[in-house]
Amino acid sequence: MKKIVIAGAFAGLGLLVACQPAAQRAEAPKAEKKKLSAEEKFKIALFKNQDKWQKACSNPTQLVPEGIDIDTFKKEMLATVKYPEGGVMGDWKKGEKLFGDPRKQGKSLRGNCYACHCGDPTVIACGNIGPSLRGYAKRGKDPKETYIRIYNSWAQNPCSVMPRLGYHGVLKPQEIADIVAFLHDPSSPINK
Amino acid sequence: MRKKIIFASAIAGGVVLTAAVAQQLPDQYKQLLELGMHPGYAYLDEGEDYFHNLKGPNGKTCASCHGQDASKLVGAYAHMPRYYKDIGKVADIDIRMLSCMTKYMGFPKSKDFIKKYTKKYRVPLATYVASKSNGMKIDVKLDDPQEKELYKYGEKLWWTRSGARDFSCGICHTVLSDKRIRQQALPNPVRDKLYKHWPTYRYSNDKMWTMEDRVRSCFKAFLLYVNKWDKKKDWIKKPPPYSKEVVAIELYMKHKGNGAIINVPGFIR
Ligand code: HEC
Ligand code: HEC
Repeated sequence: MKKIVIAGAFAGLGLLVACQPAAQRAEAPKAEKKKLSAEEKFKIALFKNQDKWQKACSNPTQLVPEGIDIDTFKKEMLATVKYPEGGVMGDWKKGEKLFGDPRKQGKSLRGNCYACHCGDPTVIACGNIGPSLRGYAKRGKDPKETYIRIYNSWAQNPCSVMPRLGYHGVLKPQEIADIVAFLHDPSSPINK
Repeated sequence: MRKKIIFASAIAGGVVLTAAVAQQLPDQYKQLLELGMHPGYAYLDEGEDYFHNLKGPNGKTCASCHGQDASKLVGAYAHMPRYYKDIGKVADIDIRMLSCMTKYMGFPKSKDFIKKYTKKYRVPLATYVASKSNGMKIDVKLDDPQEKELYKYGEKLWWTRSGARDFSCGICHTVLSDKRIRQQALPNPVRDKLYKHWPTYRYSNDKMWTMEDRVRSCFKAFLLYVNKWDKKKDWIKKPPPYSKEVVAIELYMKHKGNGAIINVPGFIR
């Protein structure tokens, strides 16, 4: 019964809690039946939903974890990565839209990769936060490594500014595989 | 619409533009500014009008307490946010003015009035009152224990990485400042003491904004949503207006801006 109340009142905790081990889940605050104010909801989103790795990255360096050593950090992040049944190379045409639809000037509310990376050379509205991904296939990277980078960049580079898109559920495993194909398939526009 | 018509009022101080803004500025704005017309001054004029003519239910106006032409508010904005004894907490300009209206002018503390204040009176009045500190240095003191505590909280919030993008204010505005997110250059409000031009007119959405609006929007647009991805349901709402979190971040940024010369209304993308 108690469990149900907690689940209801803190539906917002959803995904993040689901990703955490049971020991941490138990720390979730006891829910009272009262309605939460907007400010309380906001604070839950900001602090209660913050996972321990985000916490470790919330120091003024922003890019070096505090309190967890780098190897443990990477190992824990790697353990969160889930793979699609059909392998890490999906359908590049679907991946193109998730990466950023060239017919919409590269916009995409899902991957939104162009915010930080250049890709398809015909899309010029691209950010310079991450490295350019033009001609990515020629770099000889392992598609599995690319998959991990997109699913959970912190498995390779703790506290990276690149969001952990698969880990948070912004992109599903199959969708990430489609993006990996977009990056690695020689016939994809990013490699033209 | 009214704003557009009345902004013909002349500007005194002129507009200081950063090179980046000057470069991207659409032609119609360049011409306006060359003619000495700054759209933010429509808000300032509107605020001046409210200051003298908006009567509370008890007959008082802002000018009843703060003098004609806000003579007793010269320099006040330079020290905000700060602790106010009469309301017992640290307030930014948005909260301070609302408290004056409900406490001293007889306006009700009702949802309806707060909504009206937020939408209608707040930004013009803040622009007008802030402009009374033009030419002065930002000078936020952290004398009161509540101010010290809130400053620390603001600093913590600045670095708090959270939400489904793993972002924080500091990621975009300290670590990545001067990079481009898509086409948009990321400003560095702390290093560059950008608080000096707030409240500011944003020509990209044709509106005057106070720092409350800016902080809340940055949170909403970039930082947080909860639960599984669902673009309609799961973007968390902004922190509510007048909340402690917003004031804390303002206090942090403005204290970092100490010494910069206030020049309001600003003008940015
Ligand atoms: C907010 C910024 C940001 C977003 C959004 C982002 N990335 Fe990245 N990405 C980076 C940064 C920064 C790096 C550099 C390495 C690091 O810090 O992890 C990077 C590295 C990479 C790499 C490795 C490049 C190499 O040369 O090894 C790949 C592949 C990549 N990103 C793909 C993507 C894809 C695909 C998406 C969207 C689904 C995406 N990124 C979204 C910031 C971002
Ligand atoms: C993912 C990126 C991102 C994050 C995270 C972010 N911002 Fe911003 N912020 C921007 C962009 C882009 C602009 C410029 C917007 C424009 O010019 O239209 C901006 C503008 C600003 C400005 C105005 C600077 C000026 O020119 O005067 C302030 C102040 C600011 N942000 C504060 C914050 C605070 C406080 C937070 C955290 C709660 C935050 N930002 C989080 C991207 C971000």
